[in-house]
Amino acid sequence: MSWQTFVLHLFTYGILLYSIILLICYVLIGAFSISETRSYLHKNSFTDYRLLASSTETPSMSILAPAYNEGANIIENVRSLLSLHYNNLEVIIINDGSKDDSLEKLIHAYDMYKVDFFVNQQIKTKPVRGVYKSHNPVYRKLIVVDKENGGKADALNVGVNIAHNDYFVCIDVDCVLEQDALLKLAKPFLEGATQRVIAAGGVVRIANSCIIEGGRLVKVNLPKQFLPRMQTLEYIRAFLLSRMAWTKLNGLLLISGAFGAFDREIVINCGGYNTNTVGEDMELVVRMRRYMEERDEPYKVAFIPDPLCWTEAPSTFKILGRQRNRWTRGTIETLRFHKVMLFNPRYGILGMLSYPYWLFFEFLAPIIEFFGTIGLIIYCFTYAINWSAILIMVGVLCMGILYSIFAIMMEVLTYNQYKGRKDILRLVGVAVLEPFLFHPFVVWSAIRGNIDLIRKRNSWGEMTRQGFATEKKAS
Amino acid sequence: MLILGLLVYMLSYMYFKSVYDKKFDKWSLISDLLIRKAIFYDDDEIEDHTLIPVTARAEKLMRDKHFRKLLVNEITSAKKNISGISADNLKHLYVQLGLEKYALNNLTSSRWYIKAKAVQELTIMDMNEFVDQIYSYTDDKNDLVRMEAQSALVQFKGFDGLRFLDTITSPISNWQQIKLLQQLSHLPPSDIDMGLWFKSANSSVIVLALKLARNYHRFELHDDIISCLDHSDSWVRIEAIQCLNEIYTDETSDHLISRFLNETIKNQLAMIKVMQTIGTDKDVLFLLDLLTFENDEIKIHAARALVQSSKNGMISLEEYSKEVEYPINEIIMHIKGEIAA
Repeated sequence: MSWQTFVLHLFTYGILLYSIILLICYVLIGAFSISETRSYLHKNSFTDYRLLASSTETPSMSILAPAYNEGANIIENVRSLLSLHYNNLEVIIINDGSKDDSLEKLIHAYDMYKVDFFVNQQIKTKPVRGVYKSHNPVYRKLIVVDKENGGKADALNVGVNIAHNDYFVCIDVDCVLEQDALLKLAKPFLEGATQRVIAAGGVVRIANSCIIEGGRLVKVNLPKQFLPRMQTLEYIRAFLLSRMAWTKLNGLLLISGAFGAFDREIVINCGGYNTNTVGEDMELVVRMRRYMEERDEPYKVAFIPDPLCWTEAPSTFKILGRQRNRWTRGTIETLRFHKVMLFNPRYGILGMLSYPYWLFFEFLAPIIEFFGTIGLIIYCFTYAINWSAILIMVGVLCMGILYSIFAIMMEVLTYNQYKGRKDILRLVGVAVLEPFLFHPFVVWSAIRGNIDLIRKRNSWGEMTRQGFATEKKAS
Repeated sequence: MLILGLLVYMLSYMYFKSVYDKKFDKWSLISDLLIRKAIFYDDDEIEDHTLIPVTARAEKLMRDKHFRKLLVNEITSAKKNISGISADNLKHLYVQLGLEKYALNNLTSSRWYIKAKAVQELTIMDMNEFVDQIYSYTDDKNDLVRMEAQSALVQFKGFDGLRFLDTITSPISNWQQIKLLQQLSHLPPSDIDMGLWFKSANSSVIVLALKLARNYHRFELHDDIISCLDHSDSWVRIEAIQCLNEIYTDETSDHLISRFLNETIKNQLAMIKVMQTIGTDKDVLFLLDLLTFENDEIKIHAARALVQSSKNGMISLEEYSKEVEYPINEIIMHIKGEIAA
């Protein structure tokens, strides 16, 4: 056997083995997701959330919303947060050294004044310049914190220090929450009789082309633009399949930074959000889990499949590229910080399953895909067309499409936000086109993320948003 | 092939769902009519053997399990929102149509959600006669079945329904405790004997007993609550601490102070919060001592308790701040701000 043939076989069978393992993972994810979603839906049919809304036993919650240069919509966004259905709530807006007039607008709109506030620095942060409360008792739930710029993680840490309540919910200030989102997110914390629920996440959906009025979602539409529509399918796949499956195994590593609830005591004990990574959301969950594992305390990270939070997805390749680049760097940094857990039985499911999955199929997948495709093209041009490798690629492609269509089916059978048959067929079209028109860009952004990390470029990447559609705009 | 298969399944599902939705709309009208007829049935006419008129169409549809499910859902949701004679009439209709037999049959199902639904249905329909059958599910291995059965007992027997707490071994989650307390809040207070519950090996039973003692101001249980401060489970201990906020005597703060140093930070903070309510001048020295602790959270809680529990609390605090400036001076400003607000 010549060395070229050996390399070819190694390459072909290596990719084949990787694809088979990935296929098995997808099948298992599908099966676990079905089981967990069914169980949740059955349980939810017995739940009366009005109980929580009226009870004095409801766990107290603090919403933490960091804001940086959000002056354009900050008043409406805060009003939307203040209108959420929840009894025992405080809303903390952290102005992370904005250069615009966000703070002045808040002070004026909500009749706020600076209070003497002793900030207990349980987690070290950049200095707080002032804490504001409202003269108007209607806004007694609202606290505005003005601090020096230190990034999202630092702003959240300030919020954790200032929060008075047992649990906190971190959200992106521009997200739109369902009115009962907090009631639904609070419930998992009340159910843990034998194991402590340390965090809970909810599904984030794409709000582009949806109609938002007064900070509330009034009509769900499938995004009209190409990129947001592609991301809609991506989000359905990630939230309804992957996260539900990992929840079944109690191996969930990621709760979206856009919307998640946490046990404040555990977060403080863990040292709060890590300011040295751009993937602070994933890193915190991993660290909290590691903390609990190392103390041998029974715990759970919960996830609920209800669509509770709506966010605007990037609609240009430039912004999307930055976002995916950042996600890749965040993943790598988190995996690097916690590398001790890899195949370490001390960490149970976390070390033996969740961490290896993220390493091999979230971090390495785009790299293998990128170099596999390049390698195949070079080989075909240099030697001959390698039909077996091409066959594997086609198989992987079909598998991806099948997985996407399965996700759409789960959406139809469960929450079915896109009611029209045309919308579902459009999503199926997206599933077929995505591997050719969208996925290569995502892979390329991930590769750039790896390169940037090697070059030690660790910027967050500016995220400009276009704003939601209102009824007027839509008509 | 698989892709095509999934597509066909999904589109067929959507098609049949829309067909069923239309059919359900028609069925909904029939069941609405039936329910309305029962609700407004003349109260003089209804007796045990009186039959509420049911149309032939509805009787025929009763053989269809989907229609029965729809009808039961509508009857139970109507029953939840009404009371008095109209509610009795709905129960009469439910029994007349023999729907309780299906529910009883479902109680033996191997699927937990069917079993739990059956318990819930019998509870909403006030089918007290099946309370013994339902009792056996109060310690079921499935949490939902257990929860529904426990709620049923409370619904049927009020405070006496809590007798399942004497023997229960499974944990009662906070969610279920909220549900039970909410159910009980509609009933007149009771002085049910809770002695056994305070000695339960099941921590969640003790926690529920503590919540009941707190909500119903059972001052005679003070000593039982104090004994919970030495329980091995910190969940029980913190609940007992919070309970003392409502049920206390002149000596309660001494009990808290004597156990303070052995507690977790979380429970220590809960203790200091309670001292805000129950503390007196005799506790000033203890609270001042807490200002020397390293943990700033303890300091701020202690300062607050000092100000609220003693007339001279603020003066003592200001005196102390002359010796140790930071962070006490900032904490004083913070607390003054709270008082002003």
